[in-house]
Amino acid sequence: MSTLTFEALGKSYGDTEVVRDISLTIREGEFVSLLGPSGCGKTTILRMVAGLVEPSRGRILIGSDDVTRLPPNRRGLGLVFQSYALFPHLSVTENVAFGLRRRKVAGAELDRRVREALAMVRLATFADRMPRQLSGGQQQRVAIARAIAPRPRVLLFDEPLSNLDAQLREEMQIELKRLQRDVGITTLFVTHDQGEALTMSDRVGVMARGVMQQFAPPEDIYHRPATAFVAGFIGRPNRLAGRVVRRDGAGGRVRIGDRVELAAAAIDLPDGAAASVIIRQEAIRLAAVGATASPSDAPDRVPGVPGTVLLRSFSGARVQYVVRVAEGVELVAETGSQGAAADLAPGTAVSLNIPPEAVFAMPPEEPAP
Amino acid sequence: MSDGTDHRPGRAVTAAAIAVLVFLQIPVLVVMLAAFSTTSYLTIPPKGLTLAWFGKVLADPTYLAAIRMSLILAFGSTLVSTVLGVAAAYALFRRTLPGSEAIIAFLMAPLVMPAVVVGVALLQFFSLTGLRGTLFGLLMAHVVITVPYIVRSALASLAGLDGALEEAARVLGATGLEAFRLVTLPLILPGVVAGALFAFITSLDNVPVTIFLIGANQTTLPVLIFSSVEMGIDPSVAAVSTLLILATAIVLILAERRFRLHRFV
Repeated sequence: MSTLTFEALGKSYGDTEVVRDISLTIREGEFVSLLGPSGCGKTTILRMVAGLVEPSRGRILIGSDDVTRLPPNRRGLGLVFQSYALFPHLSVTENVAFGLRRRKVAGAELDRRVREALAMVRLATFADRMPRQLSGGQQQRVAIARAIAPRPRVLLFDEPLSNLDAQLREEMQIELKRLQRDVGITTLFVTHDQGEALTMSDRVGVMARGVMQQFAPPEDIYHRPATAFVAGFIGRPNRLAGRVVRRDGAGGRVRIGDRVELAAAAIDLPDGAAASVIIRQEAIRLAAVGATASPSDAPDRVPGVPGTVLLRSFSGARVQYVVRVAEGVELVAETGSQGAAADLAPGTAVSLNIPPEAVFAMPPEEPAP
Repeated sequence: MSDGTDHRPGRAVTAAAIAVLVFLQIPVLVVMLAAFSTTSYLTIPPKGLTLAWFGKVLADPTYLAAIRMSLILAFGSTLVSTVLGVAAAYALFRRTLPGSEAIIAFLMAPLVMPAVVVGVALLQFFSLTGLRGTLFGLLMAHVVITVPYIVRSALASLAGLDGALEEAARVLGATGLEAFRLVTLPLILPGVVAGALFAFITSLDNVPVTIFLIGANQTTLPVLIFSSVEMGIDPSVAAVSTLLILATAIVLILAERRFRLHRFV
């Protein structure tokens, strides 16, 4: 178990900078995710840590050892690949034993540690199978067992859950988190799935175009995004063309369409600038006009925005509405599938309560993630 | 059939396939039958039945020397080609070399070029370098014509490999060599063996290149068969051909059993 430190770590291919001066320290036993759209540089960072890509600048330290120039086999890491990369010609046992054998572990000690690792991922009875005889989820567990068996100083995950179906993925998220806590191993987890990152991590690093946008606990990332990019990437955002009306500290007021004006928590632009206005779908509360607001809606901080329901779609736990708030301006609002707000027919006149914490304004040229 | 449809070919297709197979195999059968004839000339159908021609071949020092020479060349060139071909394919696969496409085309060229052209070119080259008539020169010539089979089958096997496998081995503590030996090599081995068998057979029955380069007092089995046929045929040629056919068939059957060879051809 060790800390993992990046000092001004950077990578360029020719003139293209794919990772720009990342500096951060992952604490002992901490679970950190790197989150971002594809091409943001997160996988390059992971591969630099593993020794599979050579950094152009900066240093990587495991504990106090500078490993920047060490070959992968001398870094003492564990890595779980997106494709699992199990050795197809070796049994489950031999896959898990591979790293141990390279470290000259043999005999009874080898057997014990292979069994221990397989027990940890609850695959003890599959020791003699070949990888092709296992389901995707089981292969995933073998890959994890293989990575943790040699007791690496740092465990790396490269989008390990993206090949699993949704239900299994959620199970594995919880299981992985529990396993990581039990083993107490420093972990770097790369993903493009914000749910995964927020659920499992102690801290999340959100990246865009090679730049670390914010490195903070999940609650901060979600509620206090440091940049407009983070605001637009996390949660389920509406993106609307708009304009900054007036700045006030970090936030201020923005306008979408001709008439709709909203308070915003974070504005990255000067007064009067054209903006892409981000409004989180899940933060919008809506009620039929004339209906009594439920007690939870009581402290109305902002006057409601009037609108008309165009479309309702039910997806089990959630209901999504497309609401027109002005000519040519449509919002998606999401709510739980129970309660008065869950059953509004298309055509219903509604009032939208949009809390300022869910509104952000970012430069319009910012490409959608 | 898992999708519920019947993919078996119709009767006409089956019949045509069988007809083609029979047509292709008739010369082989003719040669094998002729080897058992009691006549002193080749005739079909064979008259009588004797193993005398086999005995004659196996007692003939010229044939034995030619068989020995052929085996030395076939084993030697296959070994050298396999080592060189796998190494080349691996380097090309890892894309550590500039101009990989051109190098692949170059290595494959002997497959495409007429063998006679290769023979003449090598003859000139060997005359200039003093390698003409030497065993070493002949061995190198056979390496040139067998290495494409190895490169092709090794490249095909490598292409089917997940690149993350070797990386996984490296991160788990294997050196580059260990990762190749413990992970990549076992996985491409069936393909490499298939390529090596083709290389072996190609070397074993090569005439057009060998005939240009062979020394005055040495010969290989196929070249000897070729020149014996020119000088007038007796069934000992058929007998030695039969031995060659049987040896090849046994090797292929064993390889198919062990490595399911047909996946690579």
